[in-house]
Amino acid sequence: MFKPLLTSLAVAVGSLAMAGNALAEYPERNIQATIQWGAGGATDNVARSLTPHVEEILDTTVVLTNRPGGTGVIGMNHVMRQRADGYNLLYGAENPQLYQLMGLADFSYDDMHTVNIIGQGLVVIAAPADSPFDSLADLLEHAKANPGELRMGGTGAGGLPSTVLAMVNAVDELDVRNVTFGGDGPGITAMLGGHIDFMPLSLAAVGEQIRSGKMKGLAVLTKEEIEALPGVPPITQALPDIESFLPWGPFWGVFVHQDTPDDIKATLEEAYEQAVANQEFGDFMQNFGAEVLNLNGEAAEQYLDNWQSVTAWAMYEADAETLEATPEELGIPRP
Amino acid sequence: MSDTFSFLLMAWLDPQLLLLTALGTLAGIYVGAIPGLSVTMAASILISFTFSWDINNALALMVGIYVGGVYGGSRTAILLNIPGAPSAVVTAFDGYPLAQRGEAGQAIGLSTVMSVIGGLLGTLVLAGSAPFLADMALEFAPRDYFLIAVLGLLLVSTLSGKSLARGIFSVALGASIGLVGMDMVTAQPRLTMGSMELLGGIHYVVVMIGLFGVAEAFYQLHNLTKVPIKQKVDKIIPPLSMVLKYLPLSIRTSIIGVIVGALPGTGGDIASLFAYDHAKRTVKNPSSPFGEGAYEGLVAPETANNAAVGGAYVPMLTLGMPGDAVTAVILGALVIHGLNPGPMLMIETPHIFWFTVGNLALANIFLLIFGLTGIKVFSKVVEVPKALLIPLILVLCVVGTYSINSNMTEVYWMLGFGILGYWLKVFGFQMGPVILGVILGPLLDETYRQAMSSVGDSGGQFLLALVTNPLSLVLTTVIALVLLGQTPAKTWLTSQFQRN
Repeated sequence: MFKPLLTSLAVAVGSLAMAGNALAEYPERNIQATIQWGAGGATDNVARSLTPHVEEILDTTVVLTNRPGGTGVIGMNHVMRQRADGYNLLYGAENPQLYQLMGLADFSYDDMHTVNIIGQGLVVIAAPADSPFDSLADLLEHAKANPGELRMGGTGAGGLPSTVLAMVNAVDELDVRNVTFGGDGPGITAMLGGHIDFMPLSLAAVGEQIRSGKMKGLAVLTKEEIEALPGVPPITQALPDIESFLPWGPFWGVFVHQDTPDDIKATLEEAYEQAVANQEFGDFMQNFGAEVLNLNGEAAEQYLDNWQSVTAWAMYEADAETLEATPEELGIPRP
Repeated sequence: MSDTFSFLLMAWLDPQLLLLTALGTLAGIYVGAIPGLSVTMAASILISFTFSWDINNALALMVGIYVGGVYGGSRTAILLNIPGAPSAVVTAFDGYPLAQRGEAGQAIGLSTVMSVIGGLLGTLVLAGSAPFLADMALEFAPRDYFLIAVLGLLLVSTLSGKSLARGIFSVALGASIGLVGMDMVTAQPRLTMGSMELLGGIHYVVVMIGLFGVAEAFYQLHNLTKVPIKQKVDKIIPPLSMVLKYLPLSIRTSIIGVIVGALPGTGGDIASLFAYDHAKRTVKNPSSPFGEGAYEGLVAPETANNAAVGGAYVPMLTLGMPGDAVTAVILGALVIHGLNPGPMLMIETPHIFWFTVGNLALANIFLLIFGLTGIKVFSKVVEVPKALLIPLILVLCVVGTYSINSNMTEVYWMLGFGILGYWLKVFGFQMGPVILGVILGPLLDETYRQAMSSVGDSGGQFLLALVTNPLSLVLTTVIALVLLGQTPAKTWLTSQFQRN
């Protein structure tokens, strides 16, 4: 009589302890993190320099895998199809906020839970050092006199250069030849060789080229001059109306499945908040030409919505025909 | 000057760096030998792994992996007719017939020595003329890359074997495979048939593993009962006279390798194709006919792809622009370690440049040592009974494919290409032209559209640019000459001249 009781008690205590473990000790195994862009790219660099700090805080290994392709559709789709247990993270860039608009996929970051918006890149409109233009105003003037003559480096529809071009066209007129490259790197290389006339780029990609004097910045996509690029005028100097779109830039974030248990979401949010705030990571981001945001919860949602609304409407106003859906149909409010 | 010298010898004198370079080279050989496990992947895993290390240690390990990996691809190409990496595809053309003759040991020995010669020459060019070469590479406009791709298409005649018509069909097939995915300009799905998984296109290594690995494994079922060829393993290190005999060729193909490698849009895979073509055109009396075990057909691609490593470092170290996928990852590592890769890298941190040069040379020495040891064991792979070998190859193909992007869909594609490749083989099609198409198709697509949009989508302006720019004119002329030399036009012209 006594013995079975004891056994059942032991089992009960044991299972209770196990249940307690499952709740309290996330993570109890390795976490898989998918990077939606290829090795060596900006998202990859950010993910790989942030992750070691997260590993330290969570005391586990975060296994990083690049799953590039389709401007990140494939990587994001993969993570969304995994179990909602917090063991699958997505390191993503801004692109998913435009998938529906461009008809690439029927999801966006609204369909995932945002753990952290890590940071945002600054954007510069760059030209070769020997370019006849010294500012965006010069370039706009020339382009108006010679429409469709200047060659702009781009990275395809929905890429950063075409979005910046859309913003400029939403408030002014800039008719150029859009020469598409496979990424920032090939575009910069072509510009160094004088095969294109200008290209909007992230500061991370082009900062060193400007500092070395091989290229010059025509405008930086901010309201004020920035410390990292002394002497490069803010874009509002040539185009005051563009201010309504600012601040704008490519961003990087960490996301998990929407149905992940709340306590795991909280653990992850806390860990990432602490990791992004790490001094060493901050130094990396500054060196990288990017700004740390470290947003989660309400602030992150607001940031994502605002980014989507600004970008989608700029693209719509500049060239509605190329889009698969209007922002209105998708329920994206006007900025 | 003394600074330069000490940076150059840094990796040679520091025991830790020496060990890491050796370790990297050894690991690279095996990573390279397994189809699907790529140097790019190994290097990007190393980034997180070496996050907290000193930058020099991390770089030493990556240089080793890179040098070893490019070489390693030739091992499986020679032994099993399954190239471990795209840049070793060409090595299989003559390497595998050599293994079939029982000369696998000699073939590996020769390819090792030639890889080292190519690697050292590439390093020498990097050290001596990096800024010059980088400036030259920048001169290549999109239209010039387009012309290079067209020139590459003409290699079909070299790769087709007996039937040119089948070769042209295979190139077209490969090019169509290369077009699947998201259109780079409009971001619209192209040939994806509504599948989201296909938005990213079909990775060319997936095609390669299917066509070479699985198809070859199936094809070998035909000779399941054939007794494996006994390998001669007594003369592995090629005699000096042999090395000297091939030295002029290896220097020429190394130059091809380093130039093609230095162009940011092309790498070792294309370099080895051009080098093979060059050997086939210039060597009048090969040791055996090309495609049937010519040593020249082994020398050319193996020197070129290793010379391309030095080339790929040129734009990376001088401009901060990647020369290929591996150097893109290494650039990422520099960024993460707090350096600013760009045109100022050589001025502000000159040690990185000279350290890399010294390290590349060192890795090549280790390559010679590791490459020439263990060949006997490796050669025995060919003697393993087919019933054991074939299942093993299939498993490796699946694992290798999955590890590219951790994507199961790609494994199914790979198996599909394996079955397709088997039937192509049965009907006398060569696999080389298909890979040529897969590699060149996207390059043609991309560069043609870039060149056209640069001139405002005017066909006339485009054609004019091909002959008015000096560099483009040279390439156009070469294409014209190759076309004239390869087609019936030549015979016709010659007969016209003779009549007069």
